[in-house]
Amino acid sequence: MSVDARAGLRRQLTLIALFAAAYALLTALSTHSYYQLILTVVPIWAVMGLAWNLLSGYSGFVSFGHAAFFGLGAYFVALAQIHWGLSPWIGIPCAGIIGGIAGLVVGIPTFRLRGHYFALAMLAYPLALLYVFEWLGYQELALPMQREAPAAFMQFADHRLHAWLALALLIAAMLLTLWVERSRFGVALVAIREDEAAAEAAGIRTIAWKLKAITLSGAMAGVAGGFYAVVLLVVTPPAVFGMLVSAQALIVAMFGGVGTVWGPVIGAVTLVPLSEVLHAQLGDVIPGIQGVVYGVAIVAVILLAPEGVFWKVRDMRARRGPRIPAPAAAPAAANANPPKTLLLDGDVILTVENVSKAFGGLQAVRSVSLEVKRGDILGIIGPNGAGKTTLFNLLNGFISPDQGRVLLEGKDVVGCAPYEICRLGMGRTFQVVRPFRRMSVHDNVIVGAYVSAASAGQAEAQAHAALARVGLLEDACRPAGELSNKQLRLLEIARALAGEPKIMLLDETLAGLGAGEVEEVIALVRQLAEEGRTIVIIEHTMQAMVRLVQRFVVLNEGAVLTQGQPADITRNDAVIDAYLGRKWRAANA
Amino acid sequence: MSSSVFRTVNWMRLAIALALGLAGAARAKDIEVGLIAPMSGPYARQGQVMKMAADMAIDTINRQGGIKSIGGAKLKLSVFDAGDSVERAKNAAQRMVADAPNLVVATGAYLSSFTLAVTEVTERAALPVLTFSYSDLITSRGFKHVFQTSATGVQQAEGSLPALMEMAEKASGKRPKTIGIVMDNTAASVSFVKPMREQQLTKLGLKLVVDETFTPPLANATPLIQKVRSAKPDLLILLPTVIADAKLLLEKMNEFGLGRGKLPTIANGAAILDPDLRNNMNIDQLEGVMAVVANWTTNAQKDFVAEVKQKTKEPWPTQHFVTTYGDVLIFAAALEAAGKAERGVVANALHRMNLSGGAANFFPGNGKLRFEENGRRADASLLIVQWQKGVPITVYPAKDALAPPVWPKQ
Repeated sequence: MSVDARAGLRRQLTLIALFAAAYALLTALSTHSYYQLILTVVPIWAVMGLAWNLLSGYSGFVSFGHAAFFGLGAYFVALAQIHWGLSPWIGIPCAGIIGGIAGLVVGIPTFRLRGHYFALAMLAYPLALLYVFEWLGYQELALPMQREAPAAFMQFADHRLHAWLALALLIAAMLLTLWVERSRFGVALVAIREDEAAAEAAGIRTIAWKLKAITLSGAMAGVAGGFYAVVLLVVTPPAVFGMLVSAQALIVAMFGGVGTVWGPVIGAVTLVPLSEVLHAQLGDVIPGIQGVVYGVAIVAVILLAPEGVFWKVRDMRARRGPRIPAPAAAPAAANANPPKTLLLDGDVILTVENVSKAFGGLQAVRSVSLEVKRGDILGIIGPNGAGKTTLFNLLNGFISPDQGRVLLEGKDVVGCAPYEICRLGMGRTFQVVRPFRRMSVHDNVIVGAYVSAASAGQAEAQAHAALARVGLLEDACRPAGELSNKQLRLLEIARALAGEPKIMLLDETLAGLGAGEVEEVIALVRQLAEEGRTIVIIEHTMQAMVRLVQRFVVLNEGAVLTQGQPADITRNDAVIDAYLGRKWRAANA
Repeated sequence: MSSSVFRTVNWMRLAIALALGLAGAARAKDIEVGLIAPMSGPYARQGQVMKMAADMAIDTINRQGGIKSIGGAKLKLSVFDAGDSVERAKNAAQRMVADAPNLVVATGAYLSSFTLAVTEVTERAALPVLTFSYSDLITSRGFKHVFQTSATGVQQAEGSLPALMEMAEKASGKRPKTIGIVMDNTAASVSFVKPMREQQLTKLGLKLVVDETFTPPLANATPLIQKVRSAKPDLLILLPTVIADAKLLLEKMNEFGLGRGKLPTIANGAAILDPDLRNNMNIDQLEGVMAVVANWTTNAQKDFVAEVKQKTKEPWPTQHFVTTYGDVLIFAAALEAAGKAERGVVANALHRMNLSGGAANFFPGNGKLRFEENGRRADASLLIVQWQKGVPITVYPAKDALAPPVWPKQ
């Protein structure tokens, strides 16, 4: 961890400690049992918001169904106390385990879906559970009153104890979230949110991280639900599996700010008391007006701070205050990415044998065979729709070929997932740049570094080296979304480079660059090759390519038209007819 | 304090109270009673009805001189909005016990789940609460401050069919032999027919000739009603939960010539008797439809219906109106007996209560009002109400009935 990150963590921990102290003090001073109840309910919804945020905020997989985990936790605590006399002191941790298992069970099938479909599928789980629990005859459960040993069952006469307990759960949830956010876990989740395909290509085993996230998230929601049962003392299907429960988790997180520890806390601390106060003050004066005021308040905040209060405040402070400082000197472990392999003439690193792919009736790639030698710069050219990018997608595992073999250092990688191929040493960039826009330049690159790094320290060193290599060290702390087109291209190269790949697939890296910028990037690519990396590049800028590559493969209508030295290719009549055009012939005649 | 001093102080108090009373300048402190019910959200209409009833009852009691044993103290209503969820109901209850320390007794909270949560709070605050919610769980938790005035859910499910059979036999001179059930698959309907399917049908010698369950919303009632028509049961149990489904089913029954009491049709609960139905469907089609309910207006209440219509502009008092009105009368009787506006004393008075007339006239049973040890009203029984000429009228049992049932002579 860098010095900067460590200072940031210290600041966060201090803030959490201050918040906890203030909340605990406020609770201690409250004498009114109704306020004590509200002080108890707020942290419960904050934990629920954090649970939602852990999955949906960081990974971007929006869940409308967190009530499922919440409800299972609540029902477990209630049923265990009713039937087995199990105290919530044991029941609530068990509720966490049950929530976690439920998360895993739900995640395995549901992560096959994306976007709206995932959200809708998640919606189904609590709805189904609601009916299941009604059908089981659990329309209403009441936690038995313990007159003998109330404290053993969390039935304290002093409600402040409930509030302190809720606060303890909240602090635990905040620390857990902070740990996730600051570790490889969080980086992987955010990368998935920003661009799942790019994350997979950068070597992240997305399904594993997503399952870990939903398990942890389910466990947090289960604990929140278990404690909710203890506070409410009555459990009914609509109260714990209802739409409102899932919505509440989502609303507090969205209101406060998604993808941060503080968002759900800000949301819960603001909205829960606001809605209660409105209800208490206006509920019997103008029935229903509280719902209108509450709704208007939410709409107003969403309009003024679409990403939530936290981010709005942070952006405003960032505009006033100094920019985040650039990172300090390079970590000691950084080396300038020395060539990992020696240039051995004739050593074939990548073999493509007779690979074909059809999309319905369209034969995108037909029987392509080629070989790439270690240290080579191979250029792939061809008209639009020739199948160049499809070929890259076949090579890095985004799509599987209908036939043929792809051998990376002699190992057949057909059928391997993109992250596996990446780990075997193949990095790639994209035709349309796919940075993780909300992440910093540094974090973008560290995602790539985790592929081959054994430790967080090593990943840091590799990321630093890669950034230095492409000249983006100055911009390491900027959000990727702020970069220029050239910088984004360099960022993608750095991300691929950080994983120390043996072979890099560069997809139209020069697209959209000015003449001077093209020269810079070409110089970089050439240096990378000279350091021993093998490079396969798709490019349209012929003038540049001729000076860069050692060999061309020309694709046309999915098939290899010809391959050879640049000098031969540019004079090949078939290539000129299919791709370069008559003007080229006239200009180079 | 020795007893003589105590007595002297009491005498002095009485003297002061009398003096103040005679002077008319001041009166005994108001006694705060509570209503905790949904005043907002989807159940707000029921909460409003309950508030109307409580206001009317309090007005009547206060005009009659308040609580005489407490120096003619007047009742004062405090309303707490139980909202639309269990969490809100619990919060409202906590607010009620924290903000209103002088509250002596309360009634509420409409839905069973709300009442369960509310009474968890009130029990701990030793605040006596009367409720009309059905759940058996409410009075099986060993609580000492909860009083349930309705027949419980289980009592209702078990008592409905025998009551119907008895009424059918008296009305038509013949015991029904066949029965049909058309129901949706919601929890309320399923639990209502459970005891029937499990034991009562065989015990009562009834043959189930139509048995149809649908998932709301119902798209087309024709196939269901066709089956009913061809099977010709003597009695039809019709259990839709959603108004739109009820409407479809009843329209189809009328179309097939089974409406208007030609096929005796019984629904569950008071939803089918609500005045709001007049806004949602053609009221003629409800003619003859019956419901088994835990409370309604009866002939014991004399001019009550006319008074309600005049004072509230409501077309008729519903079961929650009758019950909440009755609850306030129970409050008054308990306070009168307690002689003190204190929670514990009032709770004891409720436990010891044994009334005939007055509040007892507002709850179906044997004419007496008494609570069992666990807080359930002793001998709580059911009423059968039938739509007659656009108004739901109590038709069973005969002692409470305002009109005889319309039943086809077979």
